[in-house]
Amino acid sequence: MTSHTDAIDARDIANLAHVRDLFAHADPVPSDLAERIKFAITVHALHAEVAELIDSALLTTRGAEAAVEPTPTESVTFTAASMSLMVSSGPMDSDDSEDRVRVDGWVTTPGAKVEAVTSEGSSSAISDANGRFVLDDLPHGPVHFVVTDPGNDDTRPVITPTIQI
Amino acid sequence: MTPTPTAPDGLGTLAGKAFAAYRAGERERLSELVDLVTPVLWSAARSQGGVPAACEDAIQTAFLQLVDRADSINEPAAVLGWLVVVVKREVWRLARGARREFGVEEVPEAPAQQLDPEAQSILSERQRVLWKHVSTLSPRCQELLRVIAFADRPDYAAIAESLGMPVGSIGPTRGRCLQKLRTTLGSDPGWAV
Repeated sequence: MTSHTDAIDARDIANLAHVRDLFAHADPVPSDLAERIKFAITVHALHAEVAELIDSALLTTRGAEAAVEPTPTESVTFTAASMSLMVSSGPMDSDDSEDRVRVDGWVTTPGAKVEAVTSEGSSSAISDANGRFVLDDLPHGPVHFVVTDPGNDDTRPVITPTIQI
Repeated sequence: MTPTPTAPDGLGTLAGKAFAAYRAGERERLSELVDLVTPVLWSAARSQGGVPAACEDAIQTAFLQLVDRADSINEPAAVLGWLVVVVKREVWRLARGARREFGVEEVPEAPAQQLDPEAQSILSERQRVLWKHVSTLSPRCQELLRVIAFADRPDYAAIAESLGMPVGSIGPTRGRCLQKLRTTLGSDPGWAV
């Protein structure tokens, strides 16, 4: 006979593994919960304003010659109280880097620092006088953008939801 | 309360190391902590009977509180227990509405575990048998086993304490809940095969 005062043995561990499988199967952790928590922590840590994704469309840019295949480009617009941000992603210009992504963007604030946070880390660019910026050599996968205005310390950073490029 | 730090090599220890590194300035280690402990926090939240959306909010709130209070937490090694306590309290607070704050001691007992019919329909035959036996345990035992099943052996005692169980209810000894599960499963010829 076994008693509750015995040490936990292999059979108890096996029983618990079955309990774990039961609940993991019947009531799984939502697959994106951990990512959403990390995003919430980032927003919280930056005291950031979260931009709203308002528009996403698959643009098709056609070359001058009709024979050239159109290049599909994902274009996404975010808006927040203090600014709007439009980004479109496409392949890099050079042929030998098909697995890398170039992001062209436009932000309503000239001179803003736009940081792309990807699985590899982050890279940033400063928007020009017209608000345009280019971030290239990004990996495919999830990315979110953090926009700050180095010329104005009073504005809060703006963070976008994560999109796939 | 000060949860007991866990023995080496369990989930709690790994979580404690990641959190200590985060506090020391390695900010990216927080992601590791989130990945490590979210499954056990999910089981702790859901075992209180909260709806999924409330459980997600409770877990997120617990992490945000952890970030805010990171430097004032006395025992970084016990971060898993700290999170379990906050998650459990948050689920109950959300369930009652934000009318009043109440302390850990006032958190009611967990209800008997429920699986909705849809979830039950996807269980394997063997899981159905297991569920039948788990359902016969006391609600307190159901809660304890459901949560510790997502942790490692060295963490059992600390998690039990975080859930408000008496010291010695599990780990390093089997305790009554694991003993009951063992007995009820052992007496079922349908489980033994």
